[in-house]
Amino acid sequence: MSQTVLVCDDAIFMRTMVGDILQSAGFEVVGQAESGVQAVEQYKKLRPDLVTMDIVMPDMGGIDAVREIVKFDPQAKILMCSAMGQQALVVEAIQAGAKDFVVKPFQPSRVLEAVQRVLG
Amino acid sequence: MDTSQYAELFLTESREHVSSVNHWLLELERGAGGDEPVSAIFRSVHTIKGMSATMGYGVVAELSHEMETLLDRVRRGTLAITPEVMDVLFHAADVLEQAVEASVEGRLGDVRADPVLARLRAMGHATPRTSAAIAAVPFGESLWTAEAPAGAGLLVRVRLAKETPLRGVRAFLIVQTLKRLGEITGVSPSLAALQGDEFDLDFAVRLQTEATAAEITKQVRSAGDVAAVEVEAAGDASASAPQAVPETKAAARPSGMLMAVGEAATPAHADATPTPATAGHSARHVRIDLRRLDALMNLIGELVIARGRLQQIGATLDDPALNETLTQASRLIADLRDEIVTSRMVPVWQVFDRFPRLVRDAARGLNKRINFTIEGKDIELDRSMLDEIGDPIVHLLRNAVDHGFAGPDERVRAGKPAEGQLVLSAVRDRSAVVIRVADDGRGIDRARVLAKAREAGLVDAGKVELTDEDLVRLISRPGFSTAEQVTDLSGRGVGVDAVFSRVRALGGSVDIKSQTGVGTTVTLRLPLTLAILRALLTRVAGETYALPMTHVCETVELQAESLTTLRGREVMTLREDVLPLMRLRRIVGLPPREASGREHVIVVELADRRAGLVVDGLAGQEEIVVKQYDPVRSDVQAFSGATILGDGSPALILDVGSLS
Repeated sequence: MSQTVLVCDDAIFMRTMVGDILQSAGFEVVGQAESGVQAVEQYKKLRPDLVTMDIVMPDMGGIDAVREIVKFDPQAKILMCSAMGQQALVVEAIQAGAKDFVVKPFQPSRVLEAVQRVLG
Repeated sequence: MDTSQYAELFLTESREHVSSVNHWLLELERGAGGDEPVSAIFRSVHTIKGMSATMGYGVVAELSHEMETLLDRVRRGTLAITPEVMDVLFHAADVLEQAVEASVEGRLGDVRADPVLARLRAMGHATPRTSAAIAAVPFGESLWTAEAPAGAGLLVRVRLAKETPLRGVRAFLIVQTLKRLGEITGVSPSLAALQGDEFDLDFAVRLQTEATAAEITKQVRSAGDVAAVEVEAAGDASASAPQAVPETKAAARPSGMLMAVGEAATPAHADATPTPATAGHSARHVRIDLRRLDALMNLIGELVIARGRLQQIGATLDDPALNETLTQASRLIADLRDEIVTSRMVPVWQVFDRFPRLVRDAARGLNKRINFTIEGKDIELDRSMLDEIGDPIVHLLRNAVDHGFAGPDERVRAGKPAEGQLVLSAVRDRSAVVIRVADDGRGIDRARVLAKAREAGLVDAGKVELTDEDLVRLISRPGFSTAEQVTDLSGRGVGVDAVFSRVRALGGSVDIKSQTGVGTTVTLRLPLTLAILRALLTRVAGETYALPMTHVCETVELQAESLTTLRGREVMTLREDVLPLMRLRRIVGLPPREASGREHVIVVELADRRAGLVVDGLAGQEEIVVKQYDPVRSDVQAFSGATILGDGSPALILDVGSLS
């Protein structure tokens, strides 16, 4: 059975692209979220194997969403999707429990490497 | 990777964000909303940055990055919002918009981003960034660049791969990984410096651990982006020089396992059936290509015509079973049509939202103070109609700013507040939408319009006063403009007449009410959709003409005693009102009716006034599908299109807006 992913980003563009990259590698995108609040709700409902999480989102940002998700499931495997210039935020996300990060612009190979690191 | 398939999504979403940036910039300028404007602008710019970087649109990415940097300073309170900052942000938003469009169309050469980038940088960076000269240290020729930290335990030296994104975070992640193996007694450079990217590619960690060197190496490598790792026993000074590790691509690979996975993920594996992502989708919206909706609209239009014919056949055959089925099918077609029409409706704010910015810029350019408000943002119109009506409204707004308002001083002298009021409103009125642009400016200079009309021989030399109707008639004439000079706002050669012809082409009508010193209101009455209309069918001399219900108010029988002549014009009294009369026979070039018999008057609602249209008879209402029509006689401007009726015969659609 393929592994499941929840893709969180406020831009449809980004969700589509990350989803495409992961699907082409055999993952199943079981859910999408466009805000931190949705991300937490969806995680609880879907219990995906992997979460990709944007940092800047309306209605609770990605970092708070990571905190909430890890509180609910300490084993959650979350990959942060960040942009250049967000060092401090990514560090914060990792302290909050995210496992790794990728930096936009995404290169599929880098995303998949990071995913493998996260899934161990 | 091939990103072209995402270009359309990028464009749509970026436009929305640019629009949002403009909206919030205006709020920010007004000083409204606390922190929300800056946060919202930041979010939008940030999203554009991420998308554009992915698409490889460097200019957009750079612009949004610099905007973000500046906004971050504002957010942190190290940069105050001054008019100068606002100016740069507005300018940057404009260039960003151009760059977004140009990038997708592949004509970036047209966009000049450098000046605004320089201004953004000058403000965005508190101190000129000391380019932390990352001396490219050729690997294998030099020593580790990071000092060994003092402390107990093993010394772990790490060199990151050259292209590591966010080196500081990667280093932090590696330190976190090492923490799980034991206790860290020292880090060099300091953890803070690491996080701040203040290091080259090397760093070193002192670790007290039970783990073997091989285990540590494996863990560090699995954290990603590691070019080389070396583990020395504590105080083992002799090993201070690393062995040359060739920095090949393979060395940059985190581990053998990952390499295998990476390969499995590339095209070799891509033909594995992708699992459809259905479960758990929470989005309740789908984006549909507008062309699909257009196609649906055309099909339903044809279906409506076919239904009309079927109904006629049904009426002829008068078969109960057939009629029952017909009634049911008709209802379903009507429901289907309503659904499709509704799915094409979008709130007017989708186009109106860019106007505040436009008015602000125009007013500033002329040193005028204008408070612009929009009412009825949520009123819905057909998407194509809304797209079409955008330009005429822009024209009206620009006209108002440009000619309608006086400067603050002149206004105060005229006893008005220095700040002018400009209101754009939309309201739904039965099967029409009424859009108004109202200003409290000087009003149209009737004397000048009259003088110009006299000059052109458009009015009798003896005429001394212009009514609102005269005004509309004159101003709507192609090429009639009183502007003394051409400004860059209202442009050259396009007058209000262009607005009139555009609105009429859409099946709408325009009216102008203006009072000297009090203000001007321009009213547009538009049908809800372009393609399918409810129409009243009228008959004159055996011919059928369709009159869109958008403009029909009521119908009455013509009573001889209610007719009179006023100022040389035939008028009719209806209850309290006096309505000017028009005769359809005259409009279509037929002689007056000779046979006696009842005539009917259709009370038509023009944009802001009423008139009566005299016809021989009425033939009921019908849903008609507007077809393009090519007038053979171009001097008859009374028709806006043609349609095919239920009985298969063609009929012309009356252009109510042109009747006067």
